[in-house]
Amino acid sequence: MDDLLTDFVAETREMLEASEGEIIAWEADPTDRARIDTIFRFVHTVKGNCGFFDFPRLASLSHAAEDALADCRSGRREADSALVTAVLAIIDRIVAMVDAIEAGEECPEGDDEALISALKECEEPIDGTDGDAEAHHHQSSKGHAPANAILDKDGDHKTEAAAAKKVDPIAAQRSIRLPVDLLDRVMSGVSDMVLARNDLAHRLRQAGTQPTIDGPFERLTTILADVRDAITRMRMQRIETLFSAIPRLVRDLAADLGKQVMVDLEGGDVELDREMIETIRDPITHIIRNAIDHGIETPHERLAKGKREIALLSIAARQSGNTISIVISDDGAGLVQDKIVAKAISTGLVTEDECAKMSREKIINLVFEPGFSTADEVSNVSGRGVGLDVVRDNLERVGGSIKVTSTPDVGTLFTMQVPLTLSIIAGLTVGAGDQRFAIPQSYVEEIIHASAKALDFTHVGETALVTFRGSRVPCLTLCDVLDLPPSDLENAQQTMIMLRLASGDLFALAVDQIHSHGDLVVKPLAPAVMKSGLYAGSSLLDDGQPVLLLDVTNVANEHGLVSDARQRVLQTADSAASNKAKDASRAMLFTDFAGRRSAVRLEMVQRIETAPVSALDLAASQPRAVIDGVILPVIGVDQTTMPPEKIRLLRLTDGHCELLHAVREIDDATEITDKIKPVADDPMVEGVTLIGGQTITLLDGHALFARYGEAPAAASRRVCSLPQSDWARDFLAPLVASAGYQIAETEGEKVDVAIWLDEEFEAASALDMTFEAPVVRLRDRVDGGDDTDTVYRYDRDGLIAALQKACAAGGNS
Amino acid sequence: MQELLVMAQIAGRRCAFPAHDVKSVIEIGAITPVPCTPDFILGITAMRSQALTVVDCRRALGLDEASWSLDDRAIVVLVGGHFYALRVDSIEDITSGLGAPEDVPGGFGKEWTRVANGMVETRTGPALLVDLPLLIAGPDALGVAA
Repeated sequence: MDDLLTDFVAETREMLEASEGEIIAWEADPTDRARIDTIFRFVHTVKGNCGFFDFPRLASLSHAAEDALADCRSGRREADSALVTAVLAIIDRIVAMVDAIEAGEECPEGDDEALISALKECEEPIDGTDGDAEAHHHQSSKGHAPANAILDKDGDHKTEAAAAKKVDPIAAQRSIRLPVDLLDRVMSGVSDMVLARNDLAHRLRQAGTQPTIDGPFERLTTILADVRDAITRMRMQRIETLFSAIPRLVRDLAADLGKQVMVDLEGGDVELDREMIETIRDPITHIIRNAIDHGIETPHERLAKGKREIALLSIAARQSGNTISIVISDDGAGLVQDKIVAKAISTGLVTEDECAKMSREKIINLVFEPGFSTADEVSNVSGRGVGLDVVRDNLERVGGSIKVTSTPDVGTLFTMQVPLTLSIIAGLTVGAGDQRFAIPQSYVEEIIHASAKALDFTHVGETALVTFRGSRVPCLTLCDVLDLPPSDLENAQQTMIMLRLASGDLFALAVDQIHSHGDLVVKPLAPAVMKSGLYAGSSLLDDGQPVLLLDVTNVANEHGLVSDARQRVLQTADSAASNKAKDASRAMLFTDFAGRRSAVRLEMVQRIETAPVSALDLAASQPRAVIDGVILPVIGVDQTTMPPEKIRLLRLTDGHCELLHAVREIDDATEITDKIKPVADDPMVEGVTLIGGQTITLLDGHALFARYGEAPAAASRRVCSLPQSDWARDFLAPLVASAGYQIAETEGEKVDVAIWLDEEFEAASALDMTFEAPVVRLRDRVDGGDDTDTVYRYDRDGLIAALQKACAAGGNS
Repeated sequence: MQELLVMAQIAGRRCAFPAHDVKSVIEIGAITPVPCTPDFILGITAMRSQALTVVDCRRALGLDEASWSLDDRAIVVLVGGHFYALRVDSIEDITSGLGAPEDVPGGFGKEWTRVANGMVETRTGPALLVDLPLLIAGPDALGVAA
């Protein structure tokens, strides 16, 4: 009895799934006999099956629906949307009851009579207004049909027939139901068999060729591969199972919002891993909700725009290679660019200027950025706080992607790409230290040996960079990422794997070796291991050893390699800006003493000096050199690699200050044509760029002068007069001089600033002396109380600041 | 209550695992270390086509493992849908518990109380009944809870 009941529940469910889409299609075209037949069969079967069991309420419900549908079939009655709603309500009640039966509970309470009478009510108006319903049935059914359909009845019949043919459901496959657990067990059994086979193969190879064994073994291998393939297919499900719920969803939403929407589903026979189907269910639902709520206009608006009042929402699935693309398109209003721009600016995602430079495509793809929702008001359909950013995140987590294109008043088209399966992925096995790790093949853009010349492995600050197809790409070392002891291999002997993230960011991962690539059956990891955020799962290699699958996106995230939304958005703006700048940028190329090929902007270079090494004073913490009788700071000096006699120096100026940059070799003046990639680590570096195919570190002029720049000593020193005392001569003078001031030597010399001891100053001012230069007053006490006009005589920083302030004040007056 | 228990020594103390949770006892083969995980996770190892997370019970309790010997067999348990191989000092026997687990006034000491489901009497004497999910959560879980 229990078995029978289970079968009843399962059969009811299955038929229901098949007929739900039919009901909606039937509503769109009430004369479609094929659809009515399907639904009729459903309620008829339910009614029939109820006879075996004692379910009087189920029986009466299905009987009422069957009666109504039978009337439609025989033409005694018109199917209209009210009838469809009533039938749907009955089917919903049946589902609720079936659920309760399965759970072994009491049937849910509810007024079945109301549902049944709803069926009858919507029947009455036809009978009432049209006494001879049967005779005039055709005419009344065409009451709101296009006029030409009434005129051309034959044609109408033909289209009806064509429609019936077109909607032939995909040929039903014979199927049985299996518990998922059993499938998983079979699957892991087959995996075990493959491992055993690999082990055996290994031993056979060791034993040498044995024709009597090798033949059957080969056969075993082939069979096993077949079985494995078939088992994999078992995990697949037709995307139909997802599609079948869509018509109902669309119908209910459209009815709620007073819109008219027709659904067109295509590619229901595409097969997908059943876990993947669950993963994409929410994203698809979300997009459909959005489309109906925001995209599709009300019938009135549509007519005003000259469109058909019934909107078309089409969902198509296609398989290409090992990805499935799902396209969801509507013919609604399209995404409104201005609205997106306004929203993006108000949330601080982009600025107005940046928006102005962005293409329409870039702008509409902003809808995937976090915190984005253009809905003016939150309706109960969409705008429930879950945005498209979540949709994109969910898809990217499983290695998929999504993008949108849209034309105003023509429609919007979302394209989703998802991998065929979650559990079997193509992977690359790599070595780091003495361990092996796997990387999903889908991330791998290219594999390059690090010794390759084109790679040009360099360090800028702490960041390692490689050159890949003409651009600078950050490089991680797998050993560092995993905190493994660094391998003995030289950088040049490592292998670079160029990894492209779903966000489009590219980075290089240095590994010790590449072992193999192939399909990996990915198993989940324990939560404690997942917590590290580095791994996506584990897999077993052919020799039975477990291997960890790296979570590439997360690793990149941890190291800040994923550009945030804002940067990603700005990429185009950036390149546009640098394009403009490129005409103007010229740079002086040189090789510094560290062997680094660098450049400074040509505007900064005043002259190339050649000086004897003896002119350099390297003893001080800041090396200096005397050029043309002027003392200038020198940077870029490396004492260990100094040339014996003469040294080349670039004399840089910002118009006021000057400094010297020691160089090993001057190359040339050239144009910076390539994009300058900013480097965050080294403040003295503006960025790296490519010149003539080589990477060049471009020094940051601003930072250099901010740190080292000083005015040429001889020319523009300010003169400072000191009090006449031994203390001033022995203590104060060196300090003032080292701060860059010249000490007035004679009384009455014109000075820029004067330092007075406070008590002398007070005495002098009491005598009404005039002070020609600004005055800095020194006091003896450490704590000057509220007295802010004076500086404690040993407050070095305070004194220098006061001098600068006084000079500035003097300069202004 | 005559529940079957797998008896083992952890850090020199007798502990009991409900036999229902114990899937098997395996010889530990090669363990693949997992970098950047807490130190009580020794790595993963393969049992047929299953990957097991190898947990050192002594470290999972927050105790120093160096003072005790290590059994080259491990207890395989299923917790939350994942298989774990538990490494202990030694695996003793399977026995049946006499009566329900009881609490002992004053607890079992800080580390042990965290993972204890109480004391259970067995034919071979009293033992600490281990709560597997808490054991596998590791010593840091204590800090979070406190």
